[in-house]
Amino acid sequence: MSKIENLKKQWEAIMSCMGCGDCGFAIRPAVGRYLVCPVKEAKGEEGFEIWFARGRMNVLKSILEGKLELSKDLAEFAYQCSECGSCTDTCHETHNPYIILNTSKWIDHVEVWHALRQDLIKAGFAPLDRHAKLIEYMNNPDMRNPYGEPKEKKFEWLNDVKGVSKTGDLAFYAGCTEPLRQKETLLNLAKIFNAAGKEFAVIEDEWCCGSISIRIGDIEAVKPNIEHNIEQIKKTGAKKVFVACAGCYRTLKKDWPEIFGQDLPFEVVNVTEVLLDLINNESLKIPEKDTEVIKVAYHDPCHLGRHMDFYEPPREVIAKIPNTEMIELRRNRNNAWCCGAGGGVKSQFPELALDIAKDRIDEAVESGIDILLTECPFCVGNLADSVKKENTNMKVLDIIDYIATKI
Amino acid sequence: MTLIQKLQNIVTEKFASDDIYVRHAYSRNVHPDLQGVPEYVVRPKDAKEISEILKVANEENIPVIPRGGGDCEWGGSIATGDVGIILDMKRMDNIMNLDEENLICTVEAGISWGKLNEYLSRFGLYTGCMGPGSGLTASIGGGISHHSVGAGGCAKYGACTNQLVSLEVVLPTGEIIETGSQANKFSKFPFNRFGNGPDLAGLFCGDNGIYGVKTKVSLQVFPKPPFANYKTFLCPRNSAEVAAQIFTEIRQKGIDVYDAMYIDEILIKLGTNTFGMYPMFEHLKRKRGIVFYVVEANSEQELEEKIKQLDNILLSNKAEELGSEIADGNFAKWHYTEGQWQTYHNCWGIIPTFENITTECFTPIKSFPKILKDIEVWDIENEENMKKIEEIAGFRPISGTGVVPLVDGNNVELTCGFTTFGCYHDGEYHEIIKDINLKLWKSFLTLVLKHGVQFYMMGSIPSRLMVEIGAYTSEYYNLMKSIKKTLDPHMILSRGKFNFWEDD
Amino acid sequence: MSEVYQKLKKIVSEKFVSNDLYMRHAYSRNVDPVLQGIPEYVVRPKDAKEISEILKIVNEENIPVIPRGAGCCEFGGSKPIGDGGIVLDMKRMENIINLDEENLIITVEAGISWSKLNEYLSQFGLYTGCMGPGSGLTASVGGGISHHSVGGGGCAKYGACTNQLVSLEIVLPTGEIIETGSQANKYSKFPFNRFGNGPDLASLFCGDNGIFGVKTKVSLQVFPRPDFANYKTFLLPRKSVEASVNIFTEIRKKGVDVYDAIYIMDLLVSVGCQYGLFPLWDNLKRKRGVFFYVIEANSEVELEEKTKQLDNILLTNKAEELGPEIADGNFAKWHYTEQGHWLFAHNLWGVVPGFEPLDAECHTPINSYPAILKDLDQWDQEHSEEMNMILEIAGFRPITGSGPIILIDGNNVEFTCGFTSFASYIDGKYYDIIRETNIKLWKSILERVTKWGVQWYMMGEIMSRLMIEIGAYSEEYYNFLKSIKKTLDPNLILSRGKFNF
Ligand SMILES: Cc1cc2nc3c(=O)[nH]c(=O)nc-3n(C[C@H](O)[C@H](O)[C@H](O)COP(=O)(O)OP(=O)(O)OC[C@H]3O[C@@H](n4cnc5c(N)ncnc54)[C@H](O)[C@@H]3O)c2cc1C
Ligand SMILES: Cc1cc2nc3c(=O)[nH]c(=O)nc-3n(C[C@H](O)[C@H](O)[C@H](O)COP(=O)(O)OP(=O)(O)OC[C@H]3O[C@@H](n4cnc5c(N)ncnc54)[C@H](O)[C@@H]3O)c2cc1C
Ligand code: SF4
Ligand code: SF4
Repeated sequence: MSKIENLKKQWEAIMSCMGCGDCGFAIRPAVGRYLVCPVKEAKGEEGFEIWFARGRMNVLKSILEGKLELSKDLAEFAYQCSECGSCTDTCHETHNPYIILNTSKWIDHVEVWHALRQDLIKAGFAPLDRHAKLIEYMNNPDMRNPYGEPKEKKFEWLNDVKGVSKTGDLAFYAGCTEPLRQKETLLNLAKIFNAAGKEFAVIEDEWCCGSISIRIGDIEAVKPNIEHNIEQIKKTGAKKVFVACAGCYRTLKKDWPEIFGQDLPFEVVNVTEVLLDLINNESLKIPEKDTEVIKVAYHDPCHLGRHMDFYEPPREVIAKIPNTEMIELRRNRNNAWCCGAGGGVKSQFPELALDIAKDRIDEAVESGIDILLTECPFCVGNLADSVKKENTNMKVLDIIDYIATKI
Repeated sequence: MTLIQKLQNIVTEKFASDDIYVRHAYSRNVHPDLQGVPEYVVRPKDAKEISEILKVANEENIPVIPRGGGDCEWGGSIATGDVGIILDMKRMDNIMNLDEENLICTVEAGISWGKLNEYLSRFGLYTGCMGPGSGLTASIGGGISHHSVGAGGCAKYGACTNQLVSLEVVLPTGEIIETGSQANKFSKFPFNRFGNGPDLAGLFCGDNGIYGVKTKVSLQVFPKPPFANYKTFLCPRNSAEVAAQIFTEIRQKGIDVYDAMYIDEILIKLGTNTFGMYPMFEHLKRKRGIVFYVVEANSEQELEEKIKQLDNILLSNKAEELGSEIADGNFAKWHYTEGQWQTYHNCWGIIPTFENITTECFTPIKSFPKILKDIEVWDIENEENMKKIEEIAGFRPISGTGVVPLVDGNNVELTCGFTTFGCYHDGEYHEIIKDINLKLWKSFLTLVLKHGVQFYMMGSIPSRLMVEIGAYTSEYYNLMKSIKKTLDPHMILSRGKFNFWEDD
Repeated sequence: MSEVYQKLKKIVSEKFVSNDLYMRHAYSRNVDPVLQGIPEYVVRPKDAKEISEILKIVNEENIPVIPRGAGCCEFGGSKPIGDGGIVLDMKRMENIINLDEENLIITVEAGISWSKLNEYLSQFGLYTGCMGPGSGLTASVGGGISHHSVGGGGCAKYGACTNQLVSLEIVLPTGEIIETGSQANKYSKFPFNRFGNGPDLASLFCGDNGIFGVKTKVSLQVFPRPDFANYKTFLLPRKSVEASVNIFTEIRKKGVDVYDAIYIMDLLVSVGCQYGLFPLWDNLKRKRGVFFYVIEANSEVELEEKTKQLDNILLTNKAEELGPEIADGNFAKWHYTEQGHWLFAHNLWGVVPGFEPLDAECHTPINSYPAILKDLDQWDQEHSEEMNMILEIAGFRPITGSGPIILIDGNNVEFTCGFTSFASYIDGKYYDIIRETNIKLWKSILERVTKWGVQWYMMGEIMSRLMIEIGAYSEEYYNFLKSIKKTLDPNLILSRGKFNF
């Protein structure tokens, strides 16, 4: 019998699930909620209940009660979840501060899924093949990134920018995805800083933040990364570190202190907060060019929104961009539909990730916007992959890239 | 050919599973202790597939359990024993037709009340009776199988079966029939339930899944009136009796009220000070029972007039109106504008792993305060068992009732029961909790049954208990059974409910 | 006297059983002139127990039994099919058993008439809401439940009388006595709800036309009769059929709380005026279709408000309000205040002496009846030859059309279309040919209307069998119906012959 230490710690959450099923079916226009689980919906008619929270909870109850074992097969189910947290938002939330459904206090699904993944790893049923590769790359001294790229490649973007230094009050934690896959965004970030006349520090020998490994449930594997990165950041002397990746944001701000066991010696903020400051103190002026009004919407990345309750700064930034009309998608903020990439889904189950993204893209296209903005390279990547398959002119951009077009 | 192959032949491979995890995903309803692990789970797409599945099940003598939203609280949509095929109706959740002229909506039986009403709202329509409190998930098919009522509109529209126009049903032996106006082959669309001979649709209303599988449901829908008001009142002492008096007067005076509900004193007391469920009621100096109402109208004047009539009744019963905002304690506003389908959820998980088990029944208005009093006595009588649970779980179960809505005629829906724990606690499975729970449930159900109430959600426990304690006359039970045997000679559908077994 | 007679006598005592030839003939007809069946015995039982014993005996002896309420079925449902059998006259059982004033539930014996019941209720300011069928002065509550009757007032608001059903006491064809709904739980002290304790078995007996069991006790939800009411009658514009459809539909679409809404078609108004049935409309210049409504309310303000909402609909449809008094043409006032609701269908009979409607009473969607009416015109022409043949004998051509069209449950109307013909006995002579023609035409019109997809509620002999003969039921449905019949009534004792059982 496999050990299930982590699940056991979640017993109260698991046993508090009453089995109502709202995490699979809720449609509540009164609070802007239109369906819940992106994986269940992407599975479409094949959506056996194992694909959303209630069925998963039922399985976990049986596991806790010793009626069912962990296995490789279970891992296949467990990893087809983008850990978007939409189920948590729906589970017994009245969305009104004056009436509380107490169950919402006890269940954090993402924590439960996480516990399961950790136990699957401990029992040797996970990681799945592609996930194993990512972790292996991440811990490879020559790489230190999940993309399997040589270590140096991550810093190549710096060759093309000016206005960055090795120390300073404000440091930028670049992560892996943008430097290796969406370099343009970083160049645009530098462009914006240049326009604002501001500098930021970059971190030398920055390693992967470990987000992917944590999401996969391998906590041990990331401990060295966290320690290393904290040391490297300290070297910049920065009091504030900003990130331009929703995954990094959650990982640095929430997971690092938890795993590290103490508060970080610096503050972690999101790039949109920094941009908002630049705009508010008027160092960044976005010229009002005489162009047509562009309709945009903002897609809330799960790791920013539901995971971190971070909804408003990106909207405030967008509101300050001239000739830009912001439309809210039908499902926004805590009700936002996941892009499909998170929780390791994109790497292990790319088709599933695309199926999920399609739902979001359809919603965006229907709203009649020109550009779908977001603030996460995973969302950008996956949504853009999906847009390619659709017959639409709508574009998907990072807020950074959009601002850059205006400068 | 193995059975799974036969099933997959019918629904294709993707829609039938015997995976152990999938089976466990379908092994529970709303209470964790009632578990039945099915052998197969099938997600059919239409009546034809279901018909074929049932034919195979008859050949192989394997029970089939229809499952809609799976929200039955008495294990009605899980396997009884670890056998059988779960028929997951949730794949069938499409809207087939909205007849805007005749205000009739035809849907597949697996659709939820929430989804259907979201659709109808685009046309200014609604289902009137909004189904059960679990309607975000619970299906129309499940609602019809239970005569569900409770989520809203109950005082005006009554149980959802009142709105039924026509059913498509697959009989246990695989024949597909349509009822009401559709019994006449020449009828082009469903328009009336009653006629063309006996109201055979009624056989499947409240049948708890024993007589047939509902696949298509046509419901009368209604224009949602443009005006509504909602008020909440604090009752004086003896709240339950006062509430019963208020409800009775509403009926005696024939006032057209959309909802009228009572929240019992215990729930208000525990829900504020102890458990923090009702921030809106924190400010109340006296934590007594609450009555609230919702009225709808076609014009402002009509609305005002109805309010006057209702307020008269409430004030003459010394109920005290709370402020108009949700923050002021206006539960009614939350219920009508946002809380639809959540009004009952907070009986669960009040503290972690706290599980509600209720006897959902209809009972005459004036009878419920007495039942509540008896429940208090029952609770004390069972102190010893309660204590045993407390020793393990660290908390004593609570007996009482959830929100009590006025429903059809002069009835209320009484969701009384006791809130207890599942067996699993901190790493250990305590069989004894299950034993105590089962014992207490049966004793509780018997207590309430003997008050003469009428159960609608019968699942596996109440349906069998009714038979075991002899609550049905033998003539009535034999009639029910003879029809069962005629329709389902091998007792394929929901075998075990009402003690109908294959070897009977 | 036969052995069966002796047995029956033992059960009900001598006074309440008869095989007297005249007595038997007295029970040999219903409302229609063409369907006759002479029973062997007529029995007037006093309670469920007696009925149970009777049924046990007839099962042994294999004698069919036909429950008869008031005998107002127009399709020959409450008289024997063919000769023989026992007519169970339920009219002896007409007592009020209990009025639960607190819960507003009344329990009565099934033979009581709607009017007797409502007279009693009115003493308490109550009424049945749906006032039963247009024949409610005589027709029984048990017959109403057996037909899903509706049409005798309150139909737009309350729908069919089975909607108000709370509980039934039934004697099954093999003699067992059961109670339904809340009474299925032995511990229930009084009936309070129809729905629960498992499947809604009461429904089996609703609309069953007497085939599944004998209703002995009926509990109905009753309602406080509101203090205020208003009633108006309108003359419709040209194309009054279409206008009436619009008005009905708008009432439902706007969800206006109306008690009754009824349309009387042009033909009926003009023929009626011609034959002096409607002095109240003699003053109308144009004899077009008439529409009327009744609303009820708890206060004057509420009443005014509802009146406003309804008048809005009528006026935008160019209906013209008639004066407030009955003499001014306000049919609605007569209907509501003088209980005309139990009389207003009567004038389809005897328009000229011997004139008898052979109608097709059914429920159909609001928007469907204009097309059916057109088709009936067509049908009438197609049968000119037969009509003329009757004209030659009777001196008057039968009329095809519809009685009042009544808004009922949801978006349905009760549609009593048909043709009015003559009985076969005219001035000293019995014309077999008229009888034959009538039956032929009647079946033909019933078939025609069935094919419009309507829903029958009063099926009696002729309709229940015709449905099967023309294949209107699917095989699965018919088998289902039949299998339940066989389960409940293995010897097909009750109403043998209906539905071709
Ligand atoms: C929070 C909460 C609140 C609730 N509030 C109410 C309430 O206010 N009123 C109320 O009535 N109930 C209430 N319930 C109980 C229950 O959820 C409802 O009765 C609901 O209608 C069940 O619907 P379902 O689709 O979940 O049915 P399921 O649980 O899936 O099934 C219920 C029964 O119907 C049968 N069935 C389901 N679908 C079909 C079909 N298509 N054909 C044939 N048989 C079928 C099943 O076999 C089973 O016996 C509540 C439950 C919860 C958890
Ligand atoms: C002028 C007139 C107007 C009418 N208007 C309407 C109308 O508006 N709406 C309408 O629906 N009908 C109408 N009818 C038809 C008919 O009168 C009604 O349907 C009425 O409800 C029949 O009731 P009854 O007691 O006369 O039944 P009966 O004719 O005695 O019986 C009707 C059927 O029910 C069965 N039955 C009767 N009593 C019992 C019992 N206790 N147990 C079991 N089976 C029983 C009989 O076997 C028979 O099949 C009208 C008839 C007339 C003559
Ligand atoms: S976290 Fe998201 S994907 Fe995973 S079960 Fe919950 S809703 Fe579904
Ligand atoms: S996880 Fe929450 S929403 Fe889902 S079934 Fe359990 S209690 Fe309901």
